[in-house]
Order: sequence, then C-alpha cells, then structure tokens
Amino acid sequence: MDLINIFVKSIFIDNMIFAFFLGMCSYLAVSKKVKTSIGLGIAVVFVLTITVPLNFLLNKYLLEPGALKWLSPSLADVDLSFLSFIMFIAVIASMVQLVEMVVERFAPALYASLGIFLPLIAVNCAILGGSLFMQQKGFTNVWQSLSFGLGSGIGWMMAIVLLASIREKITYSNVPAPLRGLGIAFIITGLMAIGFLAFMGIKI
Amino acid sequence: MAKKKSKEILFDPLFENNPITVQVLGICSALAVTVKLMPAIVMALSVMAVVAFSNLIISFMRKLIPMRVRIIVQLVVIAALVILVDMLLKAFAYDISKQLSVFVGLIITNCIVMGRLEAFAMDNKPWASFLDGIGNGAGYGLILIIVAFIRELFGSGTLFGHKVIPQWFYDHGYMNNAMMLMPAMALITVGVIIWLQRSYMPQLTEKE
Amino acid sequence: MKFDRNSNGYTLIFMTVLLAVVAVALSGAFTFFKPFHEQNKRQEKMTDILYIIGLDQARLQKAAQSKGLSLNYDLIQKYFNQYIIKQLTLDNQGNPVQGINAFEINLKRELAKPAAEQHYPLFIARYNGKTYYIIPMYGKGLWDDIWGYIALEDDMNTIHGIKFGHKGETPGLGANITEKWFEDRFKGEKLFDPNGQFTGIDIVKHWKDETNKNDHKIDAISGATLTSNGVKAMINERVKHYVPYFNKLKKQ
Repeated sequence: MDLINIFVKSIFIDNMIFAFFLGMCSYLAVSKKVKTSIGLGIAVVFVLTITVPLNFLLNKYLLEPGALKWLSPSLADVDLSFLSFIMFIAVIASMVQLVEMVVERFAPALYASLGIFLPLIAVNCAILGGSLFMQQKGFTNVWQSLSFGLGSGIGWMMAIVLLASIREKITYSNVPAPLRGLGIAFIITGLMAIGFLAFMGIKI
Repeated sequence: MAKKKSKEILFDPLFENNPITVQVLGICSALAVTVKLMPAIVMALSVMAVVAFSNLIISFMRKLIPMRVRIIVQLVVIAALVILVDMLLKAFAYDISKQLSVFVGLIITNCIVMGRLEAFAMDNKPWASFLDGIGNGAGYGLILIIVAFIRELFGSGTLFGHKVIPQWFYDHGYMNNAMMLMPAMALITVGVIIWLQRSYMPQLTEKE
Repeated sequence: MKFDRNSNGYTLIFMTVLLAVVAVALSGAFTFFKPFHEQNKRQEKMTDILYIIGLDQARLQKAAQSKGLSLNYDLIQKYFNQYIIKQLTLDNQGNPVQGINAFEINLKRELAKPAAEQHYPLFIARYNGKTYYIIPMYGKGLWDDIWGYIALEDDMNTIHGIKFGHKGETPGLGANITEKWFEDRFKGEKLFDPNGQFTGIDIVKHWKDETNKNDHKIDAISGATLTSNGVKAMINERVKHYVPYFNKLKKQ
C-alpha cells in the first residue's frame, strides 16, 4: 500500500460521508451556505490530519496487544486495546482545545472564520471514525496514517462543499413542502453517493 | 421549561420529536448498520442503553460537575459505557459485534447521546433523565429498524436471515435489488421516511 | 467556606476521582470478559475448520442432539480434538518447528514480519477415513481484510472445501464470497499441474466451464472483480508457503 493509493482511496472510495455516513450531523446542519461549509471543511481536514497520526502512535506504542514491549519485554503480554475508545476521544478533545488556543493566539484572522467550528468537531463522528478505521486498517508506519487522515478530511470537505452548493441552488426550485430542508438533503446525498460508486475499485 | 409528565418524556421522541428525523441527531452511525435487521436491532438496543445510563449517571452528578470540564466529563462517562457495551457484545453476541465493527465505538460521538446530556440530563432529575434516554434511544431505534426492514426485505429478500419473498416471484423474473444494500439507498430511504412523516405532521415542515 | 465547584482545586480532584473510578471499573470489566472474548474467537476458528472438512454446524448439531447434548464450546472443542489429528507449525523453508502452538498463530501479525521469520500453521484432519490438510489464509479484498481456510484432500492437490470471511466487502457483490455457491465453485479444483508444479487457482470473469476441474480456473463473482482478485491472490500466496512441505511429504 503506497501513500498516494491510500490518499486517493480515502478521498473518493472510502469517502467518510458517501461510504460510511460519518459526520452526518454537522454535514447536514452546516451545509446551507457554501462559505460556512468551507470553513467547517477546513477545520475537519486540519483536525483529522493531526489526530489520526497521533492516535496511530498512541495505538502502536501503548494500546495494541504487545505494544508495551519497548518499555520492557515483560510487558509484552499486556493488552490495553480496550482503552482505545477513551484514549482516542481524549486525544481528539484535547487536540481540538489545543488547536483552538494556538489558532486564536497566532492567527486571529483564521480564528475569526474557523473558531466557531472547532468545538463542534470534538463530537464529529468523522474524526473519531478516522482514528477507529486507522486502527482497523493496521497501517505499518505513521506516514500511511497521515496520508489516510489527510485524505479522509479532504474527502469529507469535498462532500460538504458539494452538498452546500447544491442546496444553495435548490432554494430556487419548487421542492414539495414536506421534503424541504432535511428530506431533500438526504436524498441529494444519496444520489451523490450513487455517483461516487463510479470511483469504486480505482487503484493507482 | 414546564415540567413534562413521564409519559410525554418517554413517548415524545418516538414520533413528534424523533431524534433522527426531527432533531437531526445521531445519523452518523445509524445508517451503516441497517443492511440487515438483526444488527440494526442490536445497535438500537446498544444506543438506548448508552443514552439511558449516561443520562442517569450525569443527572446524578449534575450538581457536582465543574462546568468548565463538563464536556470532557460527559465524554468520559459515555466512552466508558460504550466500552462496556462493546465488551458485552463481544462476549455474548460475537457474530453481530463483528458486523457492527467500528460502529459500536462511534456511539461515543453519536450526537444523540451528547445532545440529550446537554439538553436534558444536566438540569433534570435522574428518573426523568433515564426515561428521556429510553425514549430517545427508542425513537432512534425505530427509524433504524424501519430502514433495516426495508433494506433487508428488498435488498436480500430476507428478514432476520430467513427467506420471505416466495420462490414464485423469482421464477417470474423478480430480482433482489442489490442497490438497496449500497450506502446510498439508506440515505434515500431516510429521506422518504422524513417526507412521509412530514406529510402527516405538517407542523414539522421547514420554512425557507 | 462556600463550596465552589468551578475552582481549580475541585476540578482537579473531580477529574482524578472520575478517571480513577472509570479506569478501575473498565479494567475489572475487561478481565472479567476477556475469557469470553477469547473463547468466542477460538470457537469460531474451530467451527470454521470443522466446516471445511465437511462437518458443518447442522451436522454437528445433529450429532450433539443424538447424544442429548447441546452444541456448546466444550463440545465443539471435543469434536475438534477428535477430528484434527495433528497441528503443525512450519517455517519459511517448509520445516516443522517445535514449540509454537499452531492454533494460536495470528496469521495477520505473522505476515507482517520479514519472510524469513514467518511461521505458518497447518492442521491435519482425519474424518470418515480420509486425511485432509487445512491451511488458514489471510489477504486483502477490495475494501479491507479477507481471510479463510482451505482444505486439501490427501493428494495435497485437490480442494476439498473452502471458507472465506471478510471485514467489509461490498454487500451483494464482493460480500458474496461467503456464500455457499461460491465455495462450491472451488470444490474439486486442483492446485498443482500434472507434473507437480504449483499452479494455483485463477478466478476468471464469465468462466463458463465449471465442470472441468483440471483447468485451475473458476468463475468470478460478476460485479466483484476486485474482490475476486484479492481472493485469488490470497489463495495462491498463502498455499505457496506450504509447497516445500508438501513436496517433502509426497516424496516419502
């Protein structure tokens, strides 16, 4: 598995939204305007790119069965993998907090446009999902996990920006009243997912 | 907020205030597990247990939790409960836990859980919070089960793994719709459910 | 003194107590449930292996019922020990290795090691007067991991039974590798050519000739070419490890 393959696959084929429905809550809630959706998208890319490799290291050197071998050979049988959920979510929550503080301190302009989205992200399933999929896929080095995190983030961002552009246009159409808003958003996403099936099986 | 009766707390979230179709919460992990009916039911029960018990625990602690760290406290409680559920499934429902894979873990970030903790458990008594959790879990489960029923019936021609569409149909050219098994059709099914629900409950229609 | 639940000291104490309680509770639960988890995994492995030599769940159930027993872990283990007469661990050169329990080998972790350090488990079964060689397999499908078991007849050439598992192949397409009709396509196919050269199995799109069991070819699942390719690679690569050992056995 080389890096580019993982990257392209995680954008188009294993797309967080279209293949796994992860991060749907904020995806549907924040996709009314293209501009805000870009903001949230960037925040997701940012946080995924940081947390997936971090959690990879955490998993490799702390949680996996036999991961503690580097500390002392007698710990080779320790299996802490049952703690992964709690550790991953702790890393994500604290990373989001940290990113928020750093951005606020050093890039006030970016903070003004991104800041409101960051707290939303700690509870975005796409972020935790990224780490859990990373754990399942058994990447061998940190670069693979980095490429996966970045790709998943970009895939998510692409999905939300696309949906937002469609939803901006659809306000001019005559959608049946009960379907307006949430209903039609679901159906549009479904149709987009069918379109994305075309990418299935791409190998680079 | 006026005090609601237990019955309302329990039954409101089933239809009028359904977490998925009205509150738009918890869709994330909902759809990927609805290819077959059985995993969907197990998922629904797991979410119900996690919402109910985390509501209960947080409600007991609500006067003790430092406000600044309340999100982290909530996450810790939820994560601990989800880990317990995951262990239980792996021990007693091994086959289904394999099918659910990462989606059990994703209950942690299921917005229903966090949403109910913030909106209800933080300022209500334990018993009411517990009922609220059961109600919302059931509302979530209801949609999950409806979607899974439709997808399994038309996608595989089975229910709970048993064939229900008679052979006669297949002999006359009926075919299972493999499209129903794809993620895309889950979204469209939910869209149609929302459409139907809002046609009967016009007060829920969104204004643009 | 007035109780202030937002003071730093209190926050710290609260978090420490909470985390301690959670950690203790979870470790307790984990130690309690671990035996169940491991038993489930072992049971699955044993059922899969018994399945491919011809002892499927229904047959085991019947056998258990005729003795008035219910089919539980202990009984499955008993059948497993009765029919699996030998468990071998082979090294990369096909030589049996002592001291490593074949049943406990985690193939995924084994294959991540450098080739020279890999060990491969081999199970030898005897059922209805015939000997079978059972090889566990592991590989990649279209989306994620796939795995399985293959049972060879006592000529170490003809496929007697096969079983696949997968983590996330496309439902209705690639996921069909677990269906019986796909397994049946493999039965009777040969892995070696008449000269004894390892040829493996080719999975070909729209292969109509299913009756010829000597062509090393079977029909792919339509619409699931990439999963089929993964299955093909998995069978051929995993069985290859055992060729040196089989060659030695055949010479004897």
